[in-house]
Amino acid sequence: MSIKPLNILLADDDMDDCTFFKQALIDFNIPTLLTTLQNGEQLMQLLSSINKLNGLKSLPLPDMLFLDLNMPRKNGSECLSEIQQSNKLKKLPVIVFSTSYEKEVVNNLYQNGAHYFIRKPAEFSQLKKIIRKTVSFIANGNTPERTRENFVISLQKG
Amino acid sequence: MAKKIKSNVEELSNTQKELVFQKSEKEKLAAELVIAKKELSFLKKEKEKRLAELGIANKELVFQDEEKGKRAAELGIANIELAFQDEEKGKRAEELGIANIELAFQDEEKGKRAGELIIANKELLFQNQEKEKRAEELIIANEELLFQNKEKEKRAEELIIANKELLFQNKEKEKRAAELIIANKELLAFTYISSHDLQEPLRKIQTFVTIILENESKNLSEDGKYNFGRMQMAAGRMQQLIDDLLAFSRITTTELKFEKTSLSNIIDQVKAELKDTILEKKATIEASELGFVNIIPFQFRQLMYNLISNALKFSQPDIPSHILIKSILVKGSAAKNKKLSFVKDYCHITIKDNGIGFEPHFSERIFEVFQKLHGKEVYGGTGIGLAIVKKIIENHNGVITATSQLKKGASFDIYIPA
Repeated sequence: MSIKPLNILLADDDMDDCTFFKQALIDFNIPTLLTTLQNGEQLMQLLSSINKLNGLKSLPLPDMLFLDLNMPRKNGSECLSEIQQSNKLKKLPVIVFSTSYEKEVVNNLYQNGAHYFIRKPAEFSQLKKIIRKTVSFIANGNTPERTRENFVISLQKG
Repeated sequence: MAKKIKSNVEELSNTQKELVFQKSEKEKLAAELVIAKKELSFLKKEKEKRLAELGIANKELVFQDEEKGKRAAELGIANIELAFQDEEKGKRAEELGIANIELAFQDEEKGKRAGELIIANKELLFQNQEKEKRAEELIIANEELLFQNKEKEKRAEELIIANKELLFQNKEKEKRAAELIIANKELLAFTYISSHDLQEPLRKIQTFVTIILENESKNLSEDGKYNFGRMQMAAGRMQQLIDDLLAFSRITTTELKFEKTSLSNIIDQVKAELKDTILEKKATIEASELGFVNIIPFQFRQLMYNLISNALKFSQPDIPSHILIKSILVKGSAAKNKKLSFVKDYCHITIKDNGIGFEPHFSERIFEVFQKLHGKEVYGGTGIGLAIVKKIIENHNGVITATSQLKKGASFDIYIPA
């Protein structure tokens, strides 16, 4: 267990969803530092400043990004494409966090380089479990191999 | 004959003179006389015979003379005839001369003809050779034609197959059209379900939440009250989404009936509907140069409602909202838009505000469904309003564009066929 908290980014325009995410990490045995952003534009401003400043101040990449799809100004898919275009940023694990599940959308996300896809469960206990499970994967470095089969994280599997 | 007759007469007279001499010798010569008498009678008889014969001979002579005369006359006629025939012969000779000249001329002509025949024969020979050439060429041409005919038949067969394929495709198209009609009906049914059945459980959630908040408020923690409040808001938002989606689907499923309509009337109706907001925002709506336009009235009212309510919603906090609406007639070329005909007349309607505006690069995205530039906590809404506006303009065969700069107001330009 690392002493240094995990740096987690959450890009989601829904205030309630951000609150749920925060609550899911309370009393979690992995210490985390959550940064929330209201839309894709804010997210990309932050990421590009990390990218640029890296040489001078040696700002590290966050440990993971939870990315909503439907956001004002710049949506999740657009952010993902921009992230994949940067050699540095593409190392950031991106977990797409969405309300709906559409197979074609999910296929595209996999092809565009997202690490995992999570469909937001309606029950809070389930939501908490799936957020914690995903964070642990990355924290412990035992992430399942990035395949189309493993792409969608669910509570049923492992 | 006359001489013979004369000699006979003399002989008779001599005999008589002897008788007179001999009378004396009568007795002697009596016997001789009887004999001589007898002889004389006989002679007489002979004489008579001769005379008869002479008469006949005379008659014969007369007849012969007559015949001679006849012959002489016939000879005369024959001579005349001969003379005529000589004359005719002369004529024939002349004619023969002419005929000979003619023959000579004809011979000459024959010679000419023979020369011409030789030339004609040569020509024929040449023509025959040409004919043979042509015949060879014809054989080749026939082969070519045969080949082309076969190709034509192939093409014809291919055409038959292509026609069958087209027929099949047409039938498929008809099937698709029928399927589309069914799909449309299903869509209408879906819309109906959305508008009624879907809203029913939602209404119940809202009702239960209000009951808890009203009756159980004292038993709830602050967190609990907050969560219920958020639940109420989420339910209200879903209500708004359903309403907006229904409005959006109605734009495409309802019948499009164009009418010459007064734009001022439509704006007055919208102003009446938005009366409270206009007061709240201290807004002024300036509408000028508005005439009659060929539109689908209820759709255009919705369009104006969406645009004006947007202008009010995105007004700058400390500046009273000012909305300017005008309509002018222009040629398509003035719009500088590829979707419009350059030569047709268009009605150019402008809705301009002094609100917060937006960055120019969002000018197209704002018309897409669910696209928002602001979080729902700051500016409510579902991101459907301008998508409805665009759909309505498409239904009117027009175009709409938006131009803006951040904090400098927004301008919406509509072009619809006049």
